[in-house]
Amino acid sequence: MIFIAAAKTKRKSFFIQTILSNFVKLVLHYYYGITMNSQNQKLALRSGNQMTAEGAIKAGCKFFAGYPITPASGIYKGLIDLLPLNNGIAISSPDEISALAYCVGASMRGVKAMTATSGPGWALMIETVQYALITETPVVISVVQRLGPCTGGATQGAQGDILITEFATSGGYTIPVLYPSTAKECYELTIEAFNWAEKYRTPVVLLSDKEIGMTTESVDYNKLKISAPEHRHLISENDADFSEWKMYGFDSPGMIAKFAPVGSKVKVTATGSAHNTKGSLKKNDPETLAVLKHLEDKIRAHKDEMSLVKEDHEEGADTLIISFGITARTMKDSVANLRKQGCKVSSLTIYCMFPVPEKAILKAAIGCKNIFIAEENFSGQYRMIIAPLLKNYNVYGINKLGTMITPNEITERIMKL
Amino acid sequence: MNTTDQCSYMTHGAVMPFCKGCGHSNILKKLNDALGLLQLDPHDVCLVTDIGCIGLADALFDKVHTVHTTHGRSTGFATGIAVADKVLASGKLKTIVLIGDGGSMIGLLHIVNAALMNVDVTVIVANNFLFGMTGGQTSSLTPEHFNTITSPFGSMNPSLDICQIADASKAGFIARKTATDKDLTETISEAITFNGFAIVEVLELCTEHGTKRNEIKGNMLAKMAEDEGHEIGVIKNSHARPEFSKKYETDVHSHKGDIKPHKYISPQFNHDLRSPNEIIISGSAGERVQSTAAMFTEAALMCGLHVTQKNDNPVTQGSGFSLSEVIISPQEINFTGVSSADYVVVVSENGLKEIQGQDIFNRINEKTIFIIDETLTIEKKGLNLVVLPLRRLCGSDKAAVGAFDYVIRKFEPFPHEPFKQLLAKRFGEYGKIFKEEFYNLF
Repeated sequence: MIFIAAAKTKRKSFFIQTILSNFVKLVLHYYYGITMNSQNQKLALRSGNQMTAEGAIKAGCKFFAGYPITPASGIYKGLIDLLPLNNGIAISSPDEISALAYCVGASMRGVKAMTATSGPGWALMIETVQYALITETPVVISVVQRLGPCTGGATQGAQGDILITEFATSGGYTIPVLYPSTAKECYELTIEAFNWAEKYRTPVVLLSDKEIGMTTESVDYNKLKISAPEHRHLISENDADFSEWKMYGFDSPGMIAKFAPVGSKVKVTATGSAHNTKGSLKKNDPETLAVLKHLEDKIRAHKDEMSLVKEDHEEGADTLIISFGITARTMKDSVANLRKQGCKVSSLTIYCMFPVPEKAILKAAIGCKNIFIAEENFSGQYRMIIAPLLKNYNVYGINKLGTMITPNEITERIMKL
Repeated sequence: MNTTDQCSYMTHGAVMPFCKGCGHSNILKKLNDALGLLQLDPHDVCLVTDIGCIGLADALFDKVHTVHTTHGRSTGFATGIAVADKVLASGKLKTIVLIGDGGSMIGLLHIVNAALMNVDVTVIVANNFLFGMTGGQTSSLTPEHFNTITSPFGSMNPSLDICQIADASKAGFIARKTATDKDLTETISEAITFNGFAIVEVLELCTEHGTKRNEIKGNMLAKMAEDEGHEIGVIKNSHARPEFSKKYETDVHSHKGDIKPHKYISPQFNHDLRSPNEIIISGSAGERVQSTAAMFTEAALMCGLHVTQKNDNPVTQGSGFSLSEVIISPQEINFTGVSSADYVVVVSENGLKEIQGQDIFNRINEKTIFIIDETLTIEKKGLNLVVLPLRRLCGSDKAAVGAFDYVIRKFEPFPHEPFKQLLAKRFGEYGKIFKEEFYNLF
């Protein structure tokens, strides 16, 4: 305690500062969780939107088309500044439909592309998202949620677009959806979103919300976990497999065909209509139906490697809290409070919302009786999705509309049980 | 009609899928001839087709790239392809859109914006005055009195002059032709060669739905257009505007050195903070509330603290209240809202109204310190009030700056020095930012 007192009062001598401060730092760090500043930090104040823009650059994004909308405009501004510095281009589009169409067109030409919007813009993009899905064109769409429905509340946060982002296709295909909960994770998961788009040749949604997108926070760049950017797997005439290659071909459920950009020496046939492995429009043709099924199979086959969650398991816990995005942070504080009060409780943060990380959820639930799903929407959108998995558990929702769920609200709901 | 051997960009022996006498066959043949005239490498050509009968063209062109899109959006996709090609790739690609009259209205904004951007895209509008594939319904390009299955007594509206729209959108190349014009090949090839946005509207007949309901023949099309007040021929051919990628090079890319990436901070100061401090500051838009909160968090960051700053304002941004919730903490911050404020700072009437409107009084504790400007009165009793002449001594535009400066000097959540440095950088010499009296306030 003497050392802490020494650190607390104004340092009087060079001796204390130089000789004892390192020891004090150690004590503070290990016994009180306080880290004194260190020279290894590379800090900046960043919003989730800014980190998404920076993550996109790191991922190799070269094209952005944007249309302004609160709370997603920060990504647009971020990339307008960053892309010209990084051999890319960002342009303004006259609406959200154009924004995504420009991006899909650019991606067809062979460059990594992204756009960013919120609920009202996403509603306009749904047709084009389906086009990217059926033509197997990689593209990333960041959806920064605000209060809905419709124009809703532009400057109010919400987690109400979980179902509309996922269930946006005729036919019900899985659109991979990633959901960071901090500015740092915005950077990391944006790279992941680009990597998935390339690996699986699919549109990927990077979901976030007003609170993550627009709140600024301290980010230590030295602590970023950076995945290696996935390059697009391109076909060329000189490849050994060229003679068997087809733009939409596959020989197993998990196979993703190499990509040919328009303008390359390999002729591209792309269509938003049902097509065979060569891209030709065919009606009631078994091969065409197989291609339609493969669009879903290729995601399902890679489900396990896409299962991104963070489990905070406590031995003997009978309660599990599941959350994501901004509410996952609230959950962390609540879990700490509950444990202080002697409650045994585990938690699970979901980063990959879709495909649903079923195995990870079931694993986290082992030994528990009660499962709470905390989300900032009134109906329990993700609860609806995962409840059928959890038939053997008591499943409860912690829901709220209009403002963030607070740590106390989660704690009180759980204590009430 | 069968394609012939000379049709080098088309599938050998392909049968045109269109009805007998349909103008589409002619348009595609002339497009093929135009590509032949220009002797373009098929890999440097991308046909972007829209929905409708004209969209069946893809299957006929087996050598060039084909992208068959959603209804009306073809010019949007083509814009993305062309920009990416010119700015980021080979720059050799010729992107050609084939769209019907119906699609051109659905996707009008894509056409308008492509023209405004002057991207190197050629749009060929195959205008047969109706939606043919779905059974012959009225489109926005159907002439007034023209009979369709959904305008059985004649179309009520005049038709849109898409060439005039293109002109208003500053397109460089604009032409209106008929499908039987002898020089259609030349016009299309001119449009494709044009370095920038080009549009060619080709008037034609739908023999399934158009001619059966209307007394009309191919040689009457030009007259029909003129009756509607629509000009015929090559209407404009001007290179006055640079193509998009050239403009991008001079207007944006050459300025990239002016864009400064953000700076990183290595903490240079120590702090003695043991637990989080939560601060709410509320004031008026335009009075530096949020930007000063950002300086405060930056100063905290310079001491190695974790920080969050969550802002709130009305949608108008430049009017009404402006509020920031700031947390500084020696530990990582999870929940970013202020749930039990250490300080509530109110610097203007708007700010006071807002904290009374929001549930701020449910987010304080018995130790919360309220710092308010001397011009304001809070009716709630039992608060730890500190009333300061912030607006008088710091000016209305720096009352928030003064408030944060006071909090740091008085309560020492972290050393004053980094904040002083930031203020000096922003406003000049620290000792001259506020009135002298302010520096003695404690």
